[in-house]
Amino acid sequence: MLQVRDLQAGYIRGAPVLRGLDLDLVRGDCIALMGRNGMGKTTFVKALMGVLPQISGSIRFLDQEIAALPPYRISNAGIAYVPQGREIFPDFTVEQNLAMGRIGKRKQRNEPVDFVYDYFPVLAERRKQLGGTMSGGQQQQLAIARALVGRPDLLLLDEPSEGIQPSIVQEIAAILRRIVEQEKMTVLVVEQNLDLVRRLADHVRFIENGRIQSGVAVEEINRNPAMIGRYLSV
Amino acid sequence: MEMTVLIGLDAASYILTLLLVCIGLVIIFGMMNVVNLAHGEFFLLGAYTVVLLQQYALPFAVILLIAFVVVALVGLVIEELVIRRIYHRFLDTILATWGISLALKQLVIVLFGPGSQQAVAPFAEPVAMFGITYSSYRLFVMGMAILITAATFFILFRTRVGLTARGVIANRQMAACLGVNTRRVDRLTFAFGSGLAGLAGAIMAPLMSVDPQMGVGFLVPAFLSVLVGGTASPLGALWGAGIIGGSNSVVAAIWTPVVAQIAVFSIAIVVIRLWPGGVTGKRKR
Repeated sequence: MLQVRDLQAGYIRGAPVLRGLDLDLVRGDCIALMGRNGMGKTTFVKALMGVLPQISGSIRFLDQEIAALPPYRISNAGIAYVPQGREIFPDFTVEQNLAMGRIGKRKQRNEPVDFVYDYFPVLAERRKQLGGTMSGGQQQQLAIARALVGRPDLLLLDEPSEGIQPSIVQEIAAILRRIVEQEKMTVLVVEQNLDLVRRLADHVRFIENGRIQSGVAVEEINRNPAMIGRYLSV
Repeated sequence: MEMTVLIGLDAASYILTLLLVCIGLVIIFGMMNVVNLAHGEFFLLGAYTVVLLQQYALPFAVILLIAFVVVALVGLVIEELVIRRIYHRFLDTILATWGISLALKQLVIVLFGPGSQQAVAPFAEPVAMFGITYSSYRLFVMGMAILITAATFFILFRTRVGLTARGVIANRQMAACLGVNTRRVDRLTFAFGSGLAGLAGAIMAPLMSVDPQMGVGFLVPAFLSVLVGGTASPLGALWGAGIIGGSNSVVAAIWTPVVAQIAVFSIAIVVIRLWPGGVTGKRKR
């Protein structure tokens, strides 16, 4: 469903962070993108979302070229984004945050959002609470729920475990796994937290110097810790 | 007793008039962060629309509606040509909108001449109440100010369009990533704010001499009101207009308008010194 070819992207002209990145995703894939800091993980998801100033190469999503589209068109094409740092609307209630997730989408605008409350009961209890007053883990769940109400085909998650205590990370990983299975969602998650990757992903791809270097099934990581050392340790 | 009622009514009238002028500025300056020095000229265009259309014997309500639409369209064009390039350059908005202000003012002089024109109030019979008589049109202006402010707040806080606009202003990039066409929202928000300024000018036209300088008189107190009230919440304008308008008209009634001006600026300086974010701005940061 997603074919990325020779993607070059970055923040300043002439200094690309991604240098010829190729990646294929098939519907139903649940892939973790791992790599050291500064290798281009976040840059890659931002490039997919269309928010980078410098981009060249090809990104085909559901038979549509999206590399040159503005973010709102990419979102409407069926890609949802849970950014690093969550970026929920702190002055909006949980309900209003969820409304923002589908307000720009003609098809989903009037559909009920209650299904996300089934996945995230903690949000159901706090519909009227301001997003900014919730804990990091709750905000992360809100950001994921906000992405889901737009009924995306592909979900991009950037460091969903960042700044969240381990027990909540495990809970979120379990919920995400349920969503992947029940909603037939395709997921690309950028993550450094091995625990979350093991619980959520089927495959792992390693990114180095702006290119995808290799990929393995998630079981392989458990068997072969040296692999982690090669791509993750400093 | 009558004196108190009269001063009270005049103060209420001035506060609500100020609020009427402010409400468009709350959106463009307070929410969108554009220091729109052409706000006075939007007001002016609304007033001239009334002068022009009254020649065709249209109902006053229709004229008000057309004034809103005309100035909203002017705002739309200005947003597309100029403002969209300078959203991230706060100081440049001052320069650019000042240029727009001069251009619009000269355009009005070319089209209508430099002299003052008169708009006719649709009704003018004085009303007797609380032992005094008061202009019915002034009461109408006060009512409209309340109505328009309430309608604006309803749109901002209770409708989908308002939520979208507030979401885009709070986090433009995230809103775009959630599927919101942010350019469209910017255009509409700016046009709506402009249209409100035009509507204010149209409503005020029968009470003022309609001339190319009429917008300036309200520009400074309107900006002061937004600053004093704070831009953290659109509700700040209510406070700002109350403090600036109230102190101005009460002091002017007791002493002189000159003392009132000094008092207003002093109060504004003290308030902004004590609460740099405005009266409602304490909550943030």
